[in-house]
Amino acid sequence: MRFAALLDGTVATAAVQAQALAGFLGDGLRGDLAGETFVLYCDERDRERLVDLAPTRDVRLVKTAARRPERMVDCLTAAARGGDTALFLAAAGATGTEIVTRLACRAGGGVLTDALTIEARPQRLVCRKNVYSNHLVGRFELRARPWCVTVDACWNDTRRSPSPSHTILSESDESGDAGRPGATTDTRATGATGAAPFADAELLEAPSSGDLAKSRFLVVAGYGAASREGTERIADAARRMGADFGVSRPVAMNAWAPMDRLMGVSGTRAAPALCIVAGASGAPALYWGIEKAGLIVAVNPDERAPIVANSDAALLDDAVAVLEELAEIVAGRRTHE
Amino acid sequence: MSAVRVLVCFKVTPDFEALREADWAAAATQGVQTRYVRRVLNCFDESALELALGLSDAAARLGVTVELGALSIGGREVDPYLKTLVALGYERAARVAAGADGDIADTDAAGVGVGAAAGAAGVDGAGLDRAASGLDFAPAVVASIIASYVLRADHSDLLVLGCRSGPGDGGTVPFRVAEALGWPCLTRVTSIEPLGDGRLRVGAMVDDGLLRVTLRPPCVLAVGNALVSHLRAPTLKDRLERRERRIDVLAAADLGLDIAAELRREACVPTALETIDRRRRGAVIAGATPRDKARTLFDSYLSDLIETL
Repeated sequence: MRFAALLDGTVATAAVQAQALAGFLGDGLRGDLAGETFVLYCDERDRERLVDLAPTRDVRLVKTAARRPERMVDCLTAAARGGDTALFLAAAGATGTEIVTRLACRAGGGVLTDALTIEARPQRLVCRKNVYSNHLVGRFELRARPWCVTVDACWNDTRRSPSPSHTILSESDESGDAGRPGATTDTRATGATGAAPFADAELLEAPSSGDLAKSRFLVVAGYGAASREGTERIADAARRMGADFGVSRPVAMNAWAPMDRLMGVSGTRAAPALCIVAGASGAPALYWGIEKAGLIVAVNPDERAPIVANSDAALLDDAVAVLEELAEIVAGRRTHE
Repeated sequence: MSAVRVLVCFKVTPDFEALREADWAAAATQGVQTRYVRRVLNCFDESALELALGLSDAAARLGVTVELGALSIGGREVDPYLKTLVALGYERAARVAAGADGDIADTDAAGVGVGAAAGAAGVDGAGLDRAASGLDFAPAVVASIIASYVLRADHSDLLVLGCRSGPGDGGTVPFRVAEALGWPCLTRVTSIEPLGDGRLRVGAMVDDGLLRVTLRPPCVLAVGNALVSHLRAPTLKDRLERRERRIDVLAAADLGLDIAAELRREACVPTALETIDRRRRGAVIAGATPRDKARTLFDSYLSDLIETL
């Protein structure tokens, strides 16, 4: 059986996608499969760099007009209909989800998003993924081929090298519709017909949550902060300790902190050496975002809150009061030194 | 200029956060028991419902009419939400019946989430109740219902819904519906504004930034982490004025769908649940005051570590 990994090089996340795919192919995929990488790109200057990122030796290059996931779907649909590719694999994210879903619909296959692991068997693909807001893991079977899968974002922070050498099997240029009326240079979503329906597309500055993903010391405030003021006091304590600041979903939804501070399934995932969870219950949707932390400290007055058992050390007290005291101690230590 | 006909799809789900750790621990063998858990709006759908109301308000200021409709799939527990939406100005309110009054069995009543598609597909899932039914983990069927409702009954030209919902959290339904309708789809939408000429200005968080696009319906907009996250509450006057408005209750068969057959065709079949052990040491740090506890934490755990960060 063969697989095809999909690397969307038309967006700025190509390196993360490649890392996730390499990690997943190395440790998340079981079964007797050989494969290749479809690299979508739009700028010749990126071509070489993207080939170097490919997680497989064999590469197929597809040049496309711009950020056009549907163009990749068209190419892959043709490959799915004409070839022996059983599995199409994309990284987590909006683009990956769109590509695998549309591909499965058009090619008559099965789709599963955010796979933790997969095992290819002759007639079916056995997948595991988080379900019930990350409270449980579900096991699924995909039967109809092609199997179209995105890998869970937990693979984004794996460290595996790309294939040391690459062989380009084919190159195609699908950018010919760039000059069609209505086509734009920055369009993500289009209809099944392939025409670009969105005009004036403009990619604004990326959100500032990048520091959270790479944070070494993170403080996460939860609903126990009780107010915007409480949240700001925890954020200020985090600043004084030199920590990055994130929040749980209820805090972001109440606009006590900007949305780009959101941690967890619908926000950022990080692997800090130290994470202090202040006033959050530690619901699995949040915990997914910090589970790779080296040391987790919980501050919560409720001893039954899940974060208490799921932490290394817990302080059963008011989150704001403890964080402010801790910030004073840390700042005092640094001043003393 | 003709009115924009908007349909918002929403899901009422059990509040999974209200279940105890023991409930989850038992889930792998006994299924997820949600019958006695309160119901809540899926958070992304709630944003979608409020964004559509905001779109209607803004369009009215520009002299454009937006006709709002709401659709859900479920049992009678959905009706109070539909009545609230009618009171808020949704002119069309419909439910595709599931549970006791429909031809789609109710997963939650059976208390097991993965039985439906597994049972329909003949999978012998360990620990699963094969008699349980419903549309959890059946996104292709959900998408079929929504697309059929749009094509056969509602004839809307803008579909707004949450980008994903539990318990599957797959995020594929908007794209499946878009494929079925032949419409474009934009996901992780955070804002929708009318331009006054039939076009919309839409913001969406994509993988590498915030995208702003101008589009003309028809299209599917899947709402993500929007700042607008809470559905407004209707006034008593609004409730009283619109209390006689009808809620349409349809069977899947009314839309030309055979749910059992659709479930048998579902290409991704759930077979089992596994519990997750996230426990760490959970050492409770004692102390009389927050300062005492903070000091002990610092001395015992942080003093060396923090120097390396």
